[in-house]
Amino acid sequence: MTRPPILPAAAPAMTRRRFAALGLAGLAGASLVARGSAALAGMAVEEHDAQAAAPRIASLDWALAETLVALGHPPVAVPDKRGYGEWVVEPALPAATADLGSRFTPNIELLAALAPDLVVAIPYQGPLLPVVERVAPVLTLSIYESDGRPFERACAVAQRLAEAAGDPEAAATLVARTEAAFAAGRTRLAGRAPRPVLVASLVDPHHAWVYGANSLFTVAIERLGLANAWHGETNAWGFSAIGIEGLAEADPGARLVLLEPVPADVAARLETNPLWRRLPFVRGGEPVIRLPVVVFGGLPSAIRFSDLLSARLAEAPA
Amino acid sequence: MTALRLGATPVRGGLAVVAGLLVLAGLAGLGLASAGLSTHLPAELWLQAALAPDDADVRQLLVHYSLLPRLATALLAGAALGLSGAVLQRVLANPLASPTTLGIEAGARLALAVATLWWPGLLGLGREAVALAGGGAAVAVVLLLSLRAGLKPVAVLLAGLLVALYAGSAAAALTLLNEQWLVSLFIWGGGSLAQQDWSVAGALGPRLALAGAAAALLARPLALLGLGEDTARGLGVPVAAVRLAALALAVALATSVVSLVGVVAFVGLVAPALAGLLGARGVGARLLAAPAVGAVLLAVTDLVVQRLSGAYGELLPTGAVTAVFGAPVLLAFLLRRGLPAEPAGDGRGLAAAAAGRPWWTVAVLAVALAGLAALALLAGPDAHGWRISLGEGLADLLPWRWPRTLAAASAGAMLAAAGVVLQRLTGNPMAGPEMVGVGAGAAGGMIFAFLVLADAGRLATLAAASAGALLALVVVVALAGRGRLPPDRMLLVGVALGALADAVVAVLMAGGDPKAMALFAWSTGSTYRVDAPAALATALVAGLLLAAAPVGGRWLAILPLGGDPARALGVPLVAARLLLLVLSALLTAAATLVVGPLSFVGLMGPHLARGLGLVRPGAELAGAVVIGAAVMVAADWLGRTVVFPFEIPAGLAATLIGGPWLVLLLARRRR
Repeated sequence: MTRPPILPAAAPAMTRRRFAALGLAGLAGASLVARGSAALAGMAVEEHDAQAAAPRIASLDWALAETLVALGHPPVAVPDKRGYGEWVVEPALPAATADLGSRFTPNIELLAALAPDLVVAIPYQGPLLPVVERVAPVLTLSIYESDGRPFERACAVAQRLAEAAGDPEAAATLVARTEAAFAAGRTRLAGRAPRPVLVASLVDPHHAWVYGANSLFTVAIERLGLANAWHGETNAWGFSAIGIEGLAEADPGARLVLLEPVPADVAARLETNPLWRRLPFVRGGEPVIRLPVVVFGGLPSAIRFSDLLSARLAEAPA
Repeated sequence: MTALRLGATPVRGGLAVVAGLLVLAGLAGLGLASAGLSTHLPAELWLQAALAPDDADVRQLLVHYSLLPRLATALLAGAALGLSGAVLQRVLANPLASPTTLGIEAGARLALAVATLWWPGLLGLGREAVALAGGGAAVAVVLLLSLRAGLKPVAVLLAGLLVALYAGSAAAALTLLNEQWLVSLFIWGGGSLAQQDWSVAGALGPRLALAGAAAALLARPLALLGLGEDTARGLGVPVAAVRLAALALAVALATSVVSLVGVVAFVGLVAPALAGLLGARGVGARLLAAPAVGAVLLAVTDLVVQRLSGAYGELLPTGAVTAVFGAPVLLAFLLRRGLPAEPAGDGRGLAAAAAGRPWWTVAVLAVALAGLAALALLAGPDAHGWRISLGEGLADLLPWRWPRTLAAASAGAMLAAAGVVLQRLTGNPMAGPEMVGVGAGAAGGMIFAFLVLADAGRLATLAAASAGALLALVVVVALAGRGRLPPDRMLLVGVALGALADAVVAVLMAGGDPKAMALFAWSTGSTYRVDAPAALATALVAGLLLAAAPVGGRWLAILPLGGDPARALGVPLVAARLLLLVLSALLTAAATLVVGPLSFVGLMGPHLARGLGLVRPGAELAGAVVIGAAVMVAADWLGRTVVFPFEIPAGLAATLIGGPWLVLLLARRRR
């Protein structure tokens, strides 16, 4: 098999099957590095650099991918890598990470050529698993469910990923970084009037997604000591799809946050939308805050959202 | 002239009924509207909100800039579509013509999607111009395709729905390559009526007024046309000019609605039909009543949708909802009344010059298929670019490639065989397995499995798809078996079922749930999930069914002549039709599981085979099977290599390749 240059030169030539066994061992919570490597060459690998034998993980989802990057174990492949750069932005993927194409049909020949030890996916990708499992064992992890606990689940996901990457301590560090980001943001906003925040992304000139219960953004907003201005019903992914007129039902004292990228034609059309211009949180002439943060993200997105939002709110005149 | 005067009396009485019922419906709508209003605003503020809203009062702003313009837009769009449908039905003398069934909306939508993604500069010329071009092109293709059949209603309808399906799947392929913008394309495709100002209503109003004036001018010549082309010409009507003007008017109205609001399906079909049911029979009465019915229909639907929308925290696009209700109305019309009885087809469309040595042609085709299959197995891009893989490299890739290639070939072969059987069964060159309703049934089953079962495994999906296909098959066969439907009417039933499945998907998609997106991607017919056992099973089923096909060879030779000659030649008509229908449905169901509900391969295969001079049933079947397999193998290969590492599902790729080819083929062979 021709290996792409993504593999470190020192990587031992293992069969795919043995790598698969490795991944499974990691899932079972066993000491993955030691056992896998020992089985390999019979040398004293316990002292070996853990990194060299760290399992190579491919992610079929951006939230899991960004979490892996933040844990210091970037995935060997993600779907739609260019899109990741536009929508997730930070944390950036290394150049070596391969692009698998669509998240609905991740390129299987490419994935097989990369021979990852483990593939991580989210539940709606279930129907793909019989195919992907022929390449490597698949670990399915979920952040967004309808029970309103996205943060707890994002932390658990980070923990499972860190264990799978053979570096269980990394998760605690990431969770601590997230808590620190929340605390720093809260400090930054201390002494300011705690106005509620309304987070929306525009899907076309007339429609928006607004984020409320079940969204990680809501958690971040509350940990910053603020309130989410959207109290409407949301789906398991944490948003309501509404016409822009629906924004008028939000708390009128809110600061509006639009998630980037906003399509150019939509931005232009908004300027001439009389209802938009008369919305309480637009009318005042206060600049709308635009944040490039991906929706349906994991802990790194929560950090990014918290950092960017608190910085922008702190700039504004009290 | 006497005929006209005679026709006038019942119209007047009918108009009173129409007016009465419309007033009733209008009152109901008014009740709903005011109920909606009063949840937002106390009644004493309504007038102020409507005329000069207080900027500080969000409730008044909502009424002024959202609720009222939305109501006005619904009324105007409904009226425009009703008028467009009424004009189309009159000028084509076809009670089932409408912007939806002629592919006008789908054509406009595709043109706008293409412009949005690739040539945003074109939109600077005006979205309406782009939509008009798309809708006009769709109608032109439809008329071109059905010209040979003398623009008979059923032929026009089949061509129209085909063009609609084609444009719809092309738009789908575009969205699959632009996942992040899928949602906006679907909201718009679903025709959401959400408004935040009066601009849309303000644009639609004058257009409707102009169109109304034009329609008033055209009413008399159109009525005279109804007396027959020669009579009309004798009375001094410039027949061609009137027809062209009426068509242009209808297309412009419908495409304006698409560009300003989105696709609001089936209102243009249902409104004139309802107006007719209510008693508006003359041209003038119909042209007046249809817009009124359309306006009330869409406004009431939208008011109900607004109520439901809020309840689920999800977006329900009104246009997709009208399609969910409209498709069954089309079905009901097809089953009960509406179309004049027509001979089942005389088989002239199937005529072609016979080749001297048909089996040599088949052999050459088989060699070409083998070559394509080899290409699909050996060549493809990897992370470093294109390469031909041999030896060890190939050994790594083959386990991924051969099941997909084999499954694609089997599916293509089965679809083409089903196409041969159906075209010969109906004597209609536009018949294809995409239109038996079985594909839609299988897709419906898959949708059900993905949505309802939390973890739809391979087996569960397969079972659900088969169950859906079987259900559709039972329905179609039951209808056919009772002899209620001529074969080509039955094809329309299948297409209507397909439109229904599309509408359900559109409703699901607009909510933005990623699971629905994934479902959409898979339902378009990817061989992605085919593994070795599935591929072998598909090939086995294909082999068994194809072995059964030649048994009906004599029937296939005789049936295209039509029912009476066939009976005279001793064909047990009902049994033969039923058996062939079951065979084609089984072929289609097995193929749909692999390549999705739409591909056009079943339509294309037989045409290409006949074009090569394979006219005897056995040779045509063999040639079409090989061609179908080759086209699908090529589609699967191109689909996974051209946009690498992304993929276009094989079914969609085949549609994209096959659609224009088919149009060219049919247009060129027109006499």
